[in-house]
Amino acid sequence: MTTQTSITTQIGKQAQNPLRTMWLPILVLLFLIAFPYIVGALTGSSPMGVPRGDRMIMRGESVRWQAVFIELFVLAILTMSYNLLFGFTGVVSFGHALFFGLGGYIMGLALEYTGLNTGTAILVGAVVGILVCGVLGIVMGLVTLRLRGVYFAIFTLAVSELFFIYFSRLALTKAEDGFAITELPTWFDPSQNRLTYYYIALALFALTYVLIRRLVNSPTGAVFKAIRENEDRAQSLGYNTLTYKLLALFVAGTLASAAGMVHVILNKKVGPEVLSSAYTIDPLLMTIIGGIGTFTGPVIGSTGLHLLDTVLREATITVGGTTIDIANIWSLLLGVIFIVVVLVFPQGVVGTLMRWRNTPRKRTEGMVKGKQVEQT
Amino acid sequence: MSMIKRSSLIAIVVITAALVGFAYFTSGDLGNFGITLLSGLFGGMLLFLVASGMSIVFGLMDVLNLAQGSFFMVGAYLAYDVQHPGGIFQIDAAIPDPNVRFIVAIIVAVIGGAILGVILERGLLRPLYARPVFQLVLTFGVALVFLEIIKFVWSTTPYSWTEVFGVREGFFTLFEQRFSSYRLFVVFIGFLLIFAIWFLLQRTRIGIIIRAGVEDSAMVEALGINVRAVFTLVFTLGCAVAAFGGAIAAPFLGASPGMANAYLLGSIAAVVLGGMGSYAGTAIASLLVGLASAVVAAYSTQFLNQPVWTSLTPMLLLVLVLLVRPSGLFGEKR
Repeated sequence: MTTQTSITTQIGKQAQNPLRTMWLPILVLLFLIAFPYIVGALTGSSPMGVPRGDRMIMRGESVRWQAVFIELFVLAILTMSYNLLFGFTGVVSFGHALFFGLGGYIMGLALEYTGLNTGTAILVGAVVGILVCGVLGIVMGLVTLRLRGVYFAIFTLAVSELFFIYFSRLALTKAEDGFAITELPTWFDPSQNRLTYYYIALALFALTYVLIRRLVNSPTGAVFKAIRENEDRAQSLGYNTLTYKLLALFVAGTLASAAGMVHVILNKKVGPEVLSSAYTIDPLLMTIIGGIGTFTGPVIGSTGLHLLDTVLREATITVGGTTIDIANIWSLLLGVIFIVVVLVFPQGVVGTLMRWRNTPRKRTEGMVKGKQVEQT
Repeated sequence: MSMIKRSSLIAIVVITAALVGFAYFTSGDLGNFGITLLSGLFGGMLLFLVASGMSIVFGLMDVLNLAQGSFFMVGAYLAYDVQHPGGIFQIDAAIPDPNVRFIVAIIVAVIGGAILGVILERGLLRPLYARPVFQLVLTFGVALVFLEIIKFVWSTTPYSWTEVFGVREGFFTLFEQRFSSYRLFVVFIGFLLIFAIWFLLQRTRIGIIIRAGVEDSAMVEALGINVRAVFTLVFTLGCAVAAFGGAIAAPFLGASPGMANAYLLGSIAAVVLGGMGSYAGTAIASLLVGLASAVVAAYSTQFLNQPVWTSLTPMLLLVLVLLVRPSGLFGEKR
């Protein structure tokens, strides 16, 4: 019954003036567009970098923060795609790094190993990478999503580990060292023209947000949520739930691979670390901490955690005479925060705030039971 | 587990025969063949120690503990630390005899694993029985936390066991090939534990409750048995056995952060191949996975010069089983 109400409220919201419901995302988007110039004005550095001869040197606060934010967009796209699977469709995957890393590898291979000119190679890499990851998602889903329970989670864990180990030893891609991306079109090159690349990443991020919002608010998205709530019921209503789960997997896989491509081009290096479980753990943690099954939760989760990570990287804390670098215990802190959130605030930051706003009187009761609140 | 289907039996015999035959014909002489077999059994026994707890816990509580491999790693680190001078436990002055110290190391590892297991089940999993997806996700997070704590306390550099003691250094010669008697010792301990757990499950009162719980835990609870207490007991035992496995593996494998994931995936492969929740299936499948890994290791290092296939074997097996027969050798059709 709760599913029904949530569908009707979502559709009701959609019918309203988009400016009224979307004012916050639009404001954020405007801020992000102006961001390089704001930082530039505040710190007195040029958003274009420093010219030296006919090249631009990427130096200065504005350019440095652009890189931080491009990485943030990458993580946010990855996390939103993970949330589409886990948060909206209820499919748990432990192998999201597979799509991310494979997308990155295919883009890198297209740029460095095909001998095409760089512009064509980027296009080919993007199309092939996105298709391969989408199809791979569908194939993996076809094999195990018909089985109920943990099989899909196990399967994704195994396959992503398989690819990680294989690419860690593959001589063609220089095994554990990885290979560098040496040549890019000048207008696209983040170490030449980072501002353009910033806007490309921002556009991709905004598109992903809108796409997922539209998809989840559509009738298809209603079926996604029905599957999450109760798959048997969705099936008995006549929906072929497998098809819907495969669709979610396809979209999530393509988006994650696009994030991987943006990531490797920014760093101009492809190595097995893009396939490592860090890129499975990060979106999982960011989804749950930010707020599972919400639109803004993954964005807030990845923003908060990535900015904290960036700011705290050089910080240290002193406990009983020993000094500890935050960078060394960052993952540990994340893991502990994650466990606390799962146990105490299963709705994450956004979900908990939304519940406090919606039902102030029932707050304490709901907290004690710790149940999923489906009104949001 | 009393109903072993004929097709499953045939499958087991055929797979074993194929693996052993392949090992025999590619190894060339009996010495190498013996080494492959022994290392296969050794690896299989270690996998069994991780997988047995995982399988019984899954059958009983419907929780797939993705932190099970981490207990193996924690056991290895604790045992290493106790045995070697200059760690957290500095007992090498108090107990100079390395043999006695090894026994202490194993006991510390088992107790450490058991304590962590109780904390995990009581403190973290129990509040989440209404939300099974979050349990799965939580164990994944716990595995991350364990790994990070290990990295923080013992750094990321792998340790290799340097301390000499009785069984570890022994060798015996067969077919003009030197075999480590420690491997034989571990295989022996493994068989002992397979039997001990079987005895616990089949011949004791608590075992009857556990088996009944695997069938239908709600019904057992309705009969007035405190199923939650049994959950805690079984979970703790499973974690302690995994830590024990890490402790007895450490003299051979050392201690490294990569152990957790490797043994997690290997034991998942064994649990799925055996049929989730089936004890006999897990025991047999662990040995099969261990044997397959050893055969692939011997073949790929000798002929392909591609040792990567060794670490890929458990994952490939898991993928294969999920493709061909996801219910495993002994599982029910799903």
